[in-house]
Amino acid sequence: MPKVLRINKGSEEGLKELLRFLLENGKVKGVLTLRKMGEYGAISYSLITNPDDIDSTLPLFPLMPVNLGKQLSRLTLIEAATEPIAVVLRPCELRAFVELVKRTQGSLENILFISSTCGGVYPLEMAVEGNIAEHLPEYWKAVGQGELVPNTRLACQACEYFVPYTADITVSLLNNKGMEKETTLFLNTEKGESIVEGISGKFSEGDMDTTTIEQIRSKRKAEKEKLSDEVELRNLGIDEITKTFSRCIGCRNCSKVCPACYCHVCFFEAETSQHEPVYYERELEKEGCINMFSDTLFYHLVRLFHVSTSCTACGQCADVCPANIPLWAISLKMGEAVQKVFDYLPGKDIEEGLPITTFVPEEFAGIV
Amino acid sequence: MTTTRKGALLPAEGSVQKGIIDFAKQALKQGAFDAVLIPSRVPAGDSFAYFLVRNEAVLEGASPLSPIMPVQGARVISSITRRGKGNNRIAAIMRPCEARATIELAKLGQVDLENITIITMDCPGVIPLSDYFDDAGKGDKVFEDASQNWNSAPMRPVCRICDKFSSAGGEDLHIGTLGTNSGSILLIPHSSKGESILNKLGISLKEDISGWADKVNKLTEERKRERDQANDALRADIEGIDRLVEAFSACINCHNCMRVCPICYCRQCNFDSDKMKFTFEDYFTRAEARGRLMVPTDTLLFHIGRMLHMSLSCVSCGMCEDACPMAIPVAQIFAVVGDRNQEAFDYVPGRSMDEPLPLTTFDEEEFLEVEQSYAGVSSQQEGQNA
Repeated sequence: MPKVLRINKGSEEGLKELLRFLLENGKVKGVLTLRKMGEYGAISYSLITNPDDIDSTLPLFPLMPVNLGKQLSRLTLIEAATEPIAVVLRPCELRAFVELVKRTQGSLENILFISSTCGGVYPLEMAVEGNIAEHLPEYWKAVGQGELVPNTRLACQACEYFVPYTADITVSLLNNKGMEKETTLFLNTEKGESIVEGISGKFSEGDMDTTTIEQIRSKRKAEKEKLSDEVELRNLGIDEITKTFSRCIGCRNCSKVCPACYCHVCFFEAETSQHEPVYYERELEKEGCINMFSDTLFYHLVRLFHVSTSCTACGQCADVCPANIPLWAISLKMGEAVQKVFDYLPGKDIEEGLPITTFVPEEFAGIV
Repeated sequence: MTTTRKGALLPAEGSVQKGIIDFAKQALKQGAFDAVLIPSRVPAGDSFAYFLVRNEAVLEGASPLSPIMPVQGARVISSITRRGKGNNRIAAIMRPCEARATIELAKLGQVDLENITIITMDCPGVIPLSDYFDDAGKGDKVFEDASQNWNSAPMRPVCRICDKFSSAGGEDLHIGTLGTNSGSILLIPHSSKGESILNKLGISLKEDISGWADKVNKLTEERKRERDQANDALRADIEGIDRLVEAFSACINCHNCMRVCPICYCRQCNFDSDKMKFTFEDYFTRAEARGRLMVPTDTLLFHIGRMLHMSLSCVSCGMCEDACPMAIPVAQIFAVVGDRNQEAFDYVPGRSMDEPLPLTTFDEEEFLEVEQSYAGVSSQQEGQNA
């Protein structure tokens, strides 16, 4: 049974207290979490080394400006963290990072992972409009009661994996009715247990309430079905796909913000993907007309194919799409289907091999 | 910038678009071109794309004045001709800013213009992508009403202050529509290529264009004033490093502004390259120096770097702003910087193929005043140090 640490403060303040404790006592040398940038109001991740700056952090602010899994890959790509750091991130970001580490794009070493039972994040569009603050009371009320939070990313409303798998410490938020008065931290690993030694708080033992988790999961599942119906992608046939992607402007921003898209040069931007003039001449001869955006559908299909085993459905792609394409629903549906076939949940376990690097001689005999 | 004072008036049967399409069809039919590059509505109906068309019947549904600019046309021409001019003679019907970007790309070796005839038209602007994709039907209506009355209010912010909405001079053929009351279009050739096409089609230049030119000049002056005012107002918000940091503070470093920019043609942006990936120790040292480090890192450096690289060729098309997920007024900021930089070199991007890029032109006596003031500052500092 895991250890539980309770701090006599509301969840965000309690978590900040933990971060301050870790930094001040040299247990970590840096903290990576959300922070308000100066007086401008923009919220961004920051690597903080000065304990005084913990005051300006907002570790539980419901916004994902970037997928932190992707950023952690950037920070630890060339070498593992040379100093111990604590990172506060959402379950899908953590899973995305684990996937990237499996793909040798980063290292878990020297990082303390702090995550939470996640109520979801608001779309970037709301940060642009500047009205997240006014939604916060509603957000925390719904989270505390284990309800779906209105106006969050659709990917979040449809997310079943809101409990982190490999976090050293999990902040209990969903259905935690006392979270405004007390911070409940599950110490899931030995590292999580030992690093908090010396902090003032109440220690006990306990498991997360699995019944509640299942209840929330079934609500999210029902919401997922409903939202999938709304975007009319139930069958995801070639007609729906063609229609849905016909708005694409070919900017490929979905791949740039995607933690699973880690290729240094995307195939579609590579020199090999550039057409010779003769290609246009041939197509023109044959068809009489060429849609200059025709490669965009090919791009999306190949991208889906490439990321489907590692997609953690964070929803970043949909948030940055200038054409409002419901990419979250398409990625989610494709990811689920492929992951089910391989009995694989991306980022659940670092020891579990990637499906495409695992050879099983007797696999898919029916298809072959 | 008109090189001739005569044009040709063609009937437009009720709409400017129809007039342009009819002209393109006629040109294709008579073999003036092998294909026409033109925006058209996608089959799903809720967006537009560039189509390379040989089949005349397909041209019927084209939208040379599409309500949005989903992609900058210069990028499309670059993708067709970057690897060679090919055998097709193509008429590219595009907006003036797209034509100007195309000419810049030709100077940068990313476009081969030999088989391309650039045809532009007076441009009422385009509405922002986000507005259009919220409700395409409404977007169509808003654009139609606004463009007929030359009302720029619903257009992209940089379209509202665009003073190069008409002929910039670098195109082969310009189509004047301002003040022609939808009943006709005015063809004005700007190059021998443009002239020979009209010759081939048996279209003679009989029409005096001064009435149209006066209207263009009047609106140009109006827009120039508005542009200066807008630039001045925005400059107050972005001048100095602190304000610049603030202006870009919401940036998520996705680099989408760069990827949709017609001028940013580098196959691998410096800021996406290995040169900009550092060791953990490096990031950590930077964090320690100030107590914190924003992640993603180097966002402002990227914008300043991009500004330095492309502002002399920036045509103020507004793609960057439309593609920014954080609604940062990138295009407006770049208009402030671009205008000043271009003015310093007396350079108008895309005005003429004959004007070389300022960065490829060496002038020994250039900007002495900048050197002088710098020399003054450093000698002052030396004095203080001593």
